[in-house]
Amino acid sequence: MSVTFQSIRFGEVQVAEQDVIEFPFGLIGLGGSRYTLLDRNPGTGFLWLHSVEEPALALPVVPPEPFFSEFSLHMAPEDVERTGIEQGADVKLYVTVRATPNPLDITANLRAPLVIHEGRGYQVINANPEAQLQAPLFVLSDETARIAS
Amino acid sequence: MLILARRPGERVVIGEDILVTVMEVSASTVRLGIEAPRGVSIFREEIWLAVREENRAAAEAQADALPSAPIDEVRGEPAATAGEVSSKDETGPQPEASPQPREAPQGGSSSQD
Repeated sequence: MSVTFQSIRFGEVQVAEQDVIEFPFGLIGLGGSRYTLLDRNPGTGFLWLHSVEEPALALPVVPPEPFFSEFSLHMAPEDVERTGIEQGADVKLYVTVRATPNPLDITANLRAPLVIHEGRGYQVINANPEAQLQAPLFVLSDETARIAS
Repeated sequence: MLILARRPGERVVIGEDILVTVMEVSASTVRLGIEAPRGVSIFREEIWLAVREENRAAAEAQADALPSAPIDEVRGEPAATAGEVSSKDETGPQPEASPQPREAPQGGSSSQD
């Protein structure tokens, strides 16, 4: 079984039914209840979290691990209860991305990651005090030293 | 706006199944306990506003807005880890509206991956 939907960015898109992710609470401030992940930039790590119901509703996401090696998600007890996802469960994590023309200005939101588990997705607040709302995704090699010093 | 005076230990009932308890009052802080069904999301307002702004900004991206080349060709090194680049807290101080969320559930704070 497959699902076909319209996208203002990509035209008609077809995905397998099992690739549709239910977001019971939607995304904060955006809503939407059924999304899928589209790999339109293979090899870059960037995916589109795309609504299968609203043609205009889509946002870029990345898995945090390749970009932020020390990323960790601390879920508050109320979020564990709300999502039913226990610590240590087999989940896929993504963070939303603000795309900009200059890659060095692209930031990811580590404060409110997306947790996907068994076909369901939740945007949760990361209680990790180090999680930035706008964490730069890329830095230049020589800048790394400069920033760290 | 409905304005109610409550003492510590007293509650407000919203609808059939939302209970707000005044846990503690000090000089400038009120601690609230909120009991609500699973389907009701509860956020500190400033965090909710900030995340909504990030989500909306992200959703404005055009189809060609993302790097088309593999990561290794775009970047030199991975970005600094969370918290190292800026210590500025975008969400401002957190009101003590609920117990401090620093402890992860089940008594440990490890990553979920």
